[in-house]
Formats: sequence, structure tokens, C-alpha cells
Amino acid sequence: MYSYFIRRFLLMIPTFIGITFLCFTVTRFVPGGPVEQAVLRYQQAMAMSGEGGGGTSGSDMEQGQISEEMMESLKAIYGFDKPFYEAYAIWLWRVLHFDLGTSDTYSRPVWDLIKEKFPISIIFGLSGFTLSYMICIPLGVWKAVKHGSGFDTGSSIMVFIAYSIPGWTAGVLLLMLLGGHAYLDIVPSGGKDSGFINETSKLAMFLQEGAQVSDIPETIRKEFPKLGDNQTINASHPAFKHVPAEKRFKLKTGNHSDLSFIGRTLDTMWHMILPVFCYVLGMFASSTVLMKNSLMENLGQDYVRTAFAKGLSERVVIFKHALRNSLIPIATGLGHMLSIILAGSYLIEKVFNINGFGLLGYDSLIARDYPVTLGILVIGSMLKLFGNIVSDFLYCLIDPRIRFS
Amino acid sequence: MANPLLQVKNLKTYFRTEAGVAKAVDGVDFEVMPGEVLGIVGESGSGKSVTSLSIMQLIPNPPGEIVDGNIIFEGTDLLAAYRQKDYDVIRKIRGNKISMIFQEPMTSLNPVFTIGDQVAESLVHHKGLNPKEARDHAVEMLELVGIPSARERINEYPHQFSGGMRQRVMIAMALSCDPSLLIADEPTTALDVTIQAQILELMLEVKAKTSNAAILLITHDMAVIAETCHRVVVMYCGRIQEIADVKTIFHSPQHPYTQGLLASLPKPGQKVRRLSTIEGIVPSLFNLPKGCSFCTRCNQKLDKCETVPPEMVETSPGHFVRCHLAKPMKSA
Ligand SMILES: Nc1ncnc2c1ncn2[C@@H]1O[C@H](COP(=O)(O)OP(=O)(O)O)[C@@H](O)[C@H]1O
Ligand SMILES: [Mg+2]
Repeated sequence: MYSYFIRRFLLMIPTFIGITFLCFTVTRFVPGGPVEQAVLRYQQAMAMSGEGGGGTSGSDMEQGQISEEMMESLKAIYGFDKPFYEAYAIWLWRVLHFDLGTSDTYSRPVWDLIKEKFPISIIFGLSGFTLSYMICIPLGVWKAVKHGSGFDTGSSIMVFIAYSIPGWTAGVLLLMLLGGHAYLDIVPSGGKDSGFINETSKLAMFLQEGAQVSDIPETIRKEFPKLGDNQTINASHPAFKHVPAEKRFKLKTGNHSDLSFIGRTLDTMWHMILPVFCYVLGMFASSTVLMKNSLMENLGQDYVRTAFAKGLSERVVIFKHALRNSLIPIATGLGHMLSIILAGSYLIEKVFNINGFGLLGYDSLIARDYPVTLGILVIGSMLKLFGNIVSDFLYCLIDPRIRFS
Repeated sequence: MANPLLQVKNLKTYFRTEAGVAKAVDGVDFEVMPGEVLGIVGESGSGKSVTSLSIMQLIPNPPGEIVDGNIIFEGTDLLAAYRQKDYDVIRKIRGNKISMIFQEPMTSLNPVFTIGDQVAESLVHHKGLNPKEARDHAVEMLELVGIPSARERINEYPHQFSGGMRQRVMIAMALSCDPSLLIADEPTTALDVTIQAQILELMLEVKAKTSNAAILLITHDMAVIAETCHRVVVMYCGRIQEIADVKTIFHSPQHPYTQGLLASLPKPGQKVRRLSTIEGIVPSLFNLPKGCSFCTRCNQKLDKCETVPPEMVETSPGHFVRCHLAKPMKSA
């Protein structure tokens, strides 16, 4: 068994190289890449300044032209000066040293960007995933036990509806209906937390105490040169404890970080309701049906008849004997969880404007920010490949037939 | 004469399928005496399994349903409780007083629990043993059925056992609670020919060493009957055609169907060129003849066989035949 896992790990290497090489090559040959975009920006800028200067039409053409030299240096900037296989080798070498390059649009290391956005996606995705398992497993079990009943038929209709609506489509619809655009205003229109909380907001009651910057003793203020006189600080600020008690007051407006812990939690949850609902919706149909079918199949097995023949009650037979077996396909899905979360998050994060991993990838594709695109590909494919191994490992844990052969 | 352990009276189990109602068991009567080995024999599809599953109330419903009859076990009518939806009665008996071994040893054990857990389970459930005691008893039972180094193998999983070994485990499991009736539904059919005899012998041996349970042995093989049974029930198309003790069945079979089954056996010392089989095919349960269900294949058919269903007659004490040719014994 160990040799099997070692083999699996070794197989990851060629797979990884295959995926990245393919994608890297594609980025090299599709039109509209970063060099062309830079040329376009340059030409636009030239055209604008040309108009502003009122130059002749003859020289416009010349100004829009890019010299051979410039082209070469542009290509060098974006790493397009070498043949693609050589560029790939250089890129791969850097990746092996955990250097994913620098984003063209953010001018920051790709690695930092990903580290920053990743937790946001994980929180949303994991909540959606956990919640959907918490709903789908009991529902699937109950549907299998009550197969053919009114409950089973009724919930099947729900499953069909959920199956036919992609999560993000429902997101668009629900945002329109509930997000304050057209009908009701009960959920935020996007983002991961509140940017501004005004006095009328229900969250205002959870605002912390605060103080005027000008009330901070002079000696302490020197340590925080960035604070302006007209600003306020909240109770979490390190300078707050130096403000005399009588100068402190309860904040009336503020943003997410000015809220108390409970307030921040509520604010985050309030922002999570719709996106998480969409995640659940996306997984609802397949997970429920998988659970139901898996249990149904096991309930028809001979060993279930044996268990009944022992005199065990229906409850024990279903929940001890059949359920354990039918959870095998569900549990192995856990290994794919991360990559499923990420795959599902692109559109949902776009719809709800959640500044996470998915949105980063989406924007990088639109902007042809290839270092970010490839960085996300690296992380995504690593997660997928590890997920496969984790799935196999879970399979071994649950199913003795695999463990011992 | 002792009281019968089990009485099956007018048992009818039907399956409602899209093609119609299949009367898989249609009015079956027999008795099992304490400690005896009763065989039920018949071709595939004659309703043997359905009969045994009906006794255990393990008929999948839907499509199956026990529609009529009485099954009296140790004085209790199990079907009366079943009809009142009182399933506790049968639950206390299953695996405890009546236990069952199935045809498919490869799939009859739960793949994700150890052998020990599965044998110990009914002991904990019915006898209230604590897990340690149940485990010790499970080891004893596994030793009894001839599993080498049982104490170690108890922690192994079914897939680590061969088919024959799994059937031994099933026997250990079935006999662990000292039942008074063991139902074995073709326990050796799925096994290698070489180990079939071993398993049958083992069953009788362990039966003798434990509570001397009566055995209801279901088979399609007359040779198995000859080796193991005291009495025989011959079934065809959901009805009993003949009942007699094993000697009578082999020496003076009355029903043409029984005679056909016996003719297909190779006889010792006889050089066999080709075993005779019963001509024709088993009729569909949806399209049974109006009269005797065997009349389509019978070589001694009378005119009335096609229209008049024969009644069960007692031709000699304890020998019952459902055939127009059979002569009832003269009542004294
Ligand atoms: N689950 C089922 N659904 C429908 N019909 C069934 C089912 N089980 C048994 N039957 C019917 O009962 C008949 C007898 O089956 P069975 O008792 O298994 O025969 P055997 O004598 O070979 O054990 C079959 O021919 C079939 O028509
Ligand atoms: Mg059968």
C-alpha cells in the first residue's frame, strides 16, 4: 500500500508538468497577450497626445508605429523574448523555488496575492461545502429509507429544480430580488463584509467605542504618524488605551473593522448567506442523489438481508450496516473538496464581488495577467492532484477491501 | 410423537410485478420436527427460497407479500403477529431461535466489518453478552467450524476469506445463539464441488455438537438430499408435489416429477453416458396450466391432468403425493 502511494506521488510530477506546459504554451500563442495589450495601450496614449498636440495626420501614423527596439524590450519585460519551451523551463525553475513571478496588474508578487485571497475563498467555499453535506447526507438517507413515498417524490422535485439552475445564476436572480436592487433590501449586494456602516444600519448597535485622533496624548501620537487629526480610531487600535476615559465615545458610523467581535461575525454571516446558498445549491442535487442511490444500492445487498436475518432492527441495519458502506463514495469526494470549491468559486465570487481566489483568477484572465493566471493554475492543479491522493487515502481508510490488497 | 417445531400451513406468498401476480408460493403445508433434517428440493424457480424467506419474513415488500397462511413456531403463530404489524415477535426469533444461511457466501457478509464483529453481533444482540464475552464465544464458534487460528483471523475482513471459509463463518454466525431451527438455502451451490461435501458434513457435525437444531435444507440436488436429510419435501411451481422420508422418496417415488429428478442422478457403479433430464421447461408462473402444474412435462399424463388440479393424498403413513395417479392408502 505504501508503494502505491509513493507511486501516486511520483506520478504527480509528470501530470503537473503536462498541465502547466499545456497552459503555458496556450498563453504564448493566443492573440491579445500582454505584449499586444501594452502595444495597444501605447498606441492609444500616443493617439491621445497626438490629438492634444494638434499634430498632422501624417506624423500620427509614425507616432503609432512601434520601433523594433521597443518591441524587443516589451517582449523582454513580459518574458516573450525567448522561444516558449525555454521560457517554460525558466518559469518552471522559478516555480520550483516558490517564485510565481510578479503580477502585471497589481505589481505585487503573485504568491502574496494568492496567500491574501485564498482564505477568503476557503471560508466561503468550506461553509458552502459543509452545509451542503449537512443537508444532503441526511436528506439522501431519508429519501432512500422512504423511497417512493410522498416525501421522496416531493424532495425529488426540489432536486430537479436545483439541478437545472447553476448556483451562480440563482445568485444573480436572488441578488436582484433581495439585494436592494429592485424589490427587497434584506441582503448586502455583494462583497465579503460591510465597507461603510451608517447610523441607520442595524449593525450600528455593534460598533465599538472610539476616540478622536486629536484626543490621543501628544507623546503617543508621534508613534502613529499616519493618523490625521480628523480621523477616529476604534477600541482595537493600540493607541486607544491612552485616550482618557472621558474622551472616549461610542462610534456612530464606521466600517467592518469598527464592529465588536459579535458584530463582525454577524456582518460576515450576513454577507455569506447568499453566496453560501449558491454553493449549496450547486452541490445540492448531485450530493443528494449520490447519497440516495448509494444507500439504495446497499440496501439491496445480500449482507443487508443477513443483518435482518440476525434479528437486528431496521434502524441498526440501515444506519450501521448499509450506511457505512454507502458513505464510501461520499467520503472519497472529500478529497476533491478543495478543488471543487475553487472550481465553483469563479462565477460565484464574480457575481457577489467577493474578493477571493476565484475572482482573482477571473480578473487575471480578462486582463491577461499571465503570471497570476499561471500561479492560480499551479495552486489549483496541485490541490487537485493532492485531492486525488487524499481521496484514495480516505477510500483506504473506510474500505478494508482496498486497505488490505 | 413429539410436537412439531415448525408448522407451515397454507402459506401463500405472491409477487406483484408489472407482468402480473406471480404466485411464487401457493398453498404450502409442511412440518419440521425438532432436531430433524428436512430437505426441500425442486428445480430453480419452484419457490424454495421464497418459502424459506417467508418463514423468516424476509420477503422484499414490495413486490412480495405473504398473503395467507400460518407459520407456527414453538406454539407461536408468527404470521398472526406479522399481520398485526407486530414485527418485534419475528425480530426476537430471527438469528436467535431460527437462523439462516444463504446461497451467496461472497456477498452475504458485510465487507466493512470484521468477521469477529459480525459473529459477535447477534450474541450481543440476543444473549446480552458484553463485547468481550461475545468475542470469546465468537472465537469458539469459529474454531468449531474449523477456521484455523480463529483468534487472529477474527480481526480480518470477509474479503480475506475464501468462499468456503465465508460459508463456515456464516454457519458459525447462524449457530452461535443456539437456534432450534437452521434454514440453509442452497448453502453449497455457490461453492467448489470439492468443498461442498465438507460444508454439508460440517453443518451436521456442528449441529450435533451444539443445540441439535432442526435443519431445513434447501437444494436442487437430490444427491445432497440423499446424504443429509431425514425427510424430503419436493416442490414444483410454488406447490408441494410430494413429501416422504428419504428412503421412501428414493425407493418408491410416486410423483412423476420426483421420478424425473431421481432419474437425473448418476447411479453408483453405473457407467453414465448421458444423464436423463426432465423434458421441457418450467412453465411461467403467470401462465400455469389449469390442472396439474407439471402436466406440460409429465410422461404419464392423463386427460384430466390438464383441467383438474390434483389434491394431496396420503399413499402410506407420512407419504403425501399430489398426483392423479396416486392411490390413497386404505384407511384402517
Ligand atoms: N424479488 C422478486 N420479485 C419478483 N418475483 C420474485 C422475486 N423473488 C422470487 N420471485 C418469483 O418467485 C419464484 C420462485 O423463486 P425462488 O423461491 O427464488 O425459487 P427457487 O426455488 O429457485 O429458490 C421465481 O420464479 C420468481 O417468479
Ligand atoms: Mg433459491
